[in-house]
Amino acid sequence: MSGGKIFRKIFLVDLFQGLAVTFRNQNPKYIVTEQYPAERPKVAERYRGAPRLNNNPDNGETLCIACNLCALACPENLIVVGSERNEQTRRKELTTFTYDLSRCMFCGLCEDACPVDALELTQDFELASYSRPGMIWDRQMLEEGPRPKQYKC
Amino acid sequence: MADEQKPGGSEAPLPAGGEAAGQPAKPSPPKPAAAPPKPPATMAATPWESDLARELKERFGGQIGETSTYLGQNFIVAKPEAAVPILEYLKLEADFDYLVDITAVDWPKRPERFDLVYIVYSFPRNERVRIKTQIPDGYKPETAVGVHLTANWLEREVFDMFGIEFAGHPDMRRILMPEEWQGYPLRKDYSIIQQDQRWVRENLGIESGQ
Amino acid sequence: MPDSTFLDSTELVLNMGPQHPSTHGVLRVILKLDGEKILGTDCVIGYLHRGVEKIAENRTWAQFNPYVDRMDYVASVSNGLGYCLAVEKLLNMEAPPRAQVVRVILTELNRIASHLVWLGTHALDIGAITPVFYCFREREEALNIFEKYCGARLTTHAFRIGGLQYDTYEGFEQDVKAFCDMFPPKVDEYEALLTGNRIWKGRLTNVGVLTADECKEYGVTGPLLRAAGVKWDLRKAQPYSGYEKYDFEIPIRQNGDTFDRYIVRMQEMRQAVRIIRQAVENIPEGPIMGKVAKVIKPPVGEAYVSIEAPKGELGYYVVSDGSTQPYRVRVRPPSFVNLQALDRMVRGGLVADIVAVIGTLDIVLGEVDR
Repeated sequence: MSGGKIFRKIFLVDLFQGLAVTFRNQNPKYIVTEQYPAERPKVAERYRGAPRLNNNPDNGETLCIACNLCALACPENLIVVGSERNEQTRRKELTTFTYDLSRCMFCGLCEDACPVDALELTQDFELASYSRPGMIWDRQMLEEGPRPKQYKC
Repeated sequence: MADEQKPGGSEAPLPAGGEAAGQPAKPSPPKPAAAPPKPPATMAATPWESDLARELKERFGGQIGETSTYLGQNFIVAKPEAAVPILEYLKLEADFDYLVDITAVDWPKRPERFDLVYIVYSFPRNERVRIKTQIPDGYKPETAVGVHLTANWLEREVFDMFGIEFAGHPDMRRILMPEEWQGYPLRKDYSIIQQDQRWVRENLGIESGQ
Repeated sequence: MPDSTFLDSTELVLNMGPQHPSTHGVLRVILKLDGEKILGTDCVIGYLHRGVEKIAENRTWAQFNPYVDRMDYVASVSNGLGYCLAVEKLLNMEAPPRAQVVRVILTELNRIASHLVWLGTHALDIGAITPVFYCFREREEALNIFEKYCGARLTTHAFRIGGLQYDTYEGFEQDVKAFCDMFPPKVDEYEALLTGNRIWKGRLTNVGVLTADECKEYGVTGPLLRAAGVKWDLRKAQPYSGYEKYDFEIPIRQNGDTFDRYIVRMQEMRQAVRIIRQAVENIPEGPIMGKVAKVIKPPVGEAYVSIEAPKGELGYYVVSDGSTQPYRVRVRPPSFVNLQALDRMVRGGLVADIVAVIGTLDIVLGEVDR
C-alpha cells in the first residue's frame, strides 16, 4: 500500500469528501421540500382551483347576471343557476347557484364563458370534504371560498 | 353522407355571434344570432384526380364507387367485399405499407348501417388514403389481418364497440370491454349512461354503476 | 405419489399485472413460460376504459377538449393539439401565427416532460433508481411553465379550437429560455449515468428487437420506428402548426433494440430543446385566437389529422354532421397500436426482459384504453 493510500485511510479523506458533497447540498437554495401544512405553497396566478363567485367590491352585490352561460359551457353539467325576474328593475337576478365540485375537472371553460368575470377559478386547492354533499357548493360557499384549517408548527 | 340531420343542432341555445377571442369584459345582452349560412347536408367532396385513383378504378372497376377528396384528404368509397383486395393492392403495388387505423361510424337510419373506414399511409409516397365501405348490420366483412398485422387489435376494437364481426379473424374477442359484456357501446342507440346491468350486478356486486 | 407434479410440466402460465408496478398502470399480461423463456403473451387491456369516444358524441366540440387531456395524461398538451388541429381542419381554418408558435413551444416542452417520465420509470424498472429523481426534478420545471401559462400542470387544457385561450404570461420567454439553458446539461447528466453504463447496456442491447419491416407491419410509430432506422417523423413528413419553419433533425438508429430506442429518445429531447429555442426567439405579435364562432358548428364532413405525439402517431378521425356536437371522434392512439407489437418483441426472450420491453414501449394505459 502506498503512502498516499495509507494517509487517505487514516485521516478518512473519502469520508470527508463525501460529507462535503452532502453539506454543499444543504445550502438553502437547493432545498425544494415544502413544509406543506405549515407553509402553503405558492401556486401560479392562473391556477385553476376552487371556484369563486365574485361580488362587487364597492357594494357587495354579486356580479353574476344569471345568464346561465357557465352552465351551458360546462362539459359535466355541474352548474345550476337559479334566477328570478325582478319586476321593479326588470332584470334577471341570481337566486341560487350550485356547483358540484365532485364532478369538476377544473378545465376552466366556465370562467372563460363568464361575460362579467363573476365566476372564477381561484388559487385555493384544499377542497377535501368528509361527505359527498359537502362537495356540492352553494352560493354562499362559492362567495366565501373554502376555509381550510390552518396548521401552525 | 349525413343523410339525417341531428336535432341536436338547436339543443344548446348559446348566443352566437362574436368571436371567442379575448374575454368579453362588459355584460352585453345576448345578441341575436347572425343567421349562419346553412351547411350543405352532404359532404362537399370533389373528385380525386390522380394516377393512383385511375389505376384503382381500372383494376377494380365497378367495385369502387367514388374516388374523392375533401379538405385535401383523399378517400375511396368501395364495395365491402373489395376493401381487403384494395388494401392488398395498395400495399403490394402502390407502397401503402402502413395501416394507420380501422374504425367505423354508425348511421342508424341508413340501410347500410355502418361506415367501415380503413386509413392507410405510404412511407415512400408520403400520402394517406381512406377506404370507406358501407355495410349493413350483421354483415361480416373479411378481416385484413392477412394483409396488415396491425388490423388484429384494431378490428377487435371495432367488434367490441360496434359489433361488426370480421370473418376469418384469428382472435375475435372483445378487447376493451369485459368479455361477457352485452351490447356495443359506440352504436348510436346505446345511450351514454346505458350499461350491462346484469354484468355490473354479478361482477361488481352493486345495483348500478351510476 | 402422482405421476407428474407441476414441476415436471414444461409450460407455466404466469399472470403479470394489472397491479404490477412495471406495467405502468393497469396492463395485464398473461405470460406462457418454459422456464425463463417466454413462449407467448396475451395482453388484457381495458381496465382504464372510460369511453372517451362515446363521451365525445355527447358533448359539444369545445366541451370535448378537456377530455382528450385525460387520454395520454403525461403528454396532455399533444393530445389537445391534435384535437384542436383536427377540428380546425374540419372548419378549414388555421390558428394565427402567434398561437402556432406558442403551441409548438408548449408541445415540445411536453414532449420533454413525457420522455422524462419514460426515462425515469424505464430506468427504475430495470433497477437504476437515481434517474427517476433527476428526471422528475427537471420535469417539474416544465410543469411549472404549464402551471404558470394555463393554470394546470398535468391535464392542461392549454389550447382551444382556433387558437389559444391564454396569452403568454409575463416572463414566459425568460422561463422557457432558462429551461433551454438548464436542460441540455441535465441530459448529459442522465447520459453519464446510463449510456456508458455496462449494466444498462447489457440489459438493453438486443432486447425486444423490432426491425423496420416489422414496425411497418404492426403499424408501430414514433421512437420505436426511428430506432429501427426509418427516418420518419410527422413533424417533417406532413408538417403542422408551422413545424416546417424550424430546423431540427430526426434522430435515427439502426438496430431497433431497446438500447437504440433509449438513444433515440435522448436525442429527441435535445432536438426538442433546439426547436423551443428557435420558437421562443421569435414569437410573432398578433392575435391568439382565429375567427371561430362561439358555437362551433363544422360543416358536414370528415377529416383525419395526426400529429407526432411523444409516443408516435396520434390521429383524430372526426366526423361532423353539421351540428354542435361531434358525430364521431375516433382517436388513433399510438400506445394502443404499439402495444400490439409486445408479443413479437418478447416472444422467445427471457421473462426478465418483458419489463424492459414494456418500459421501452412507453405506453400510457389511459391512452391504450381511452
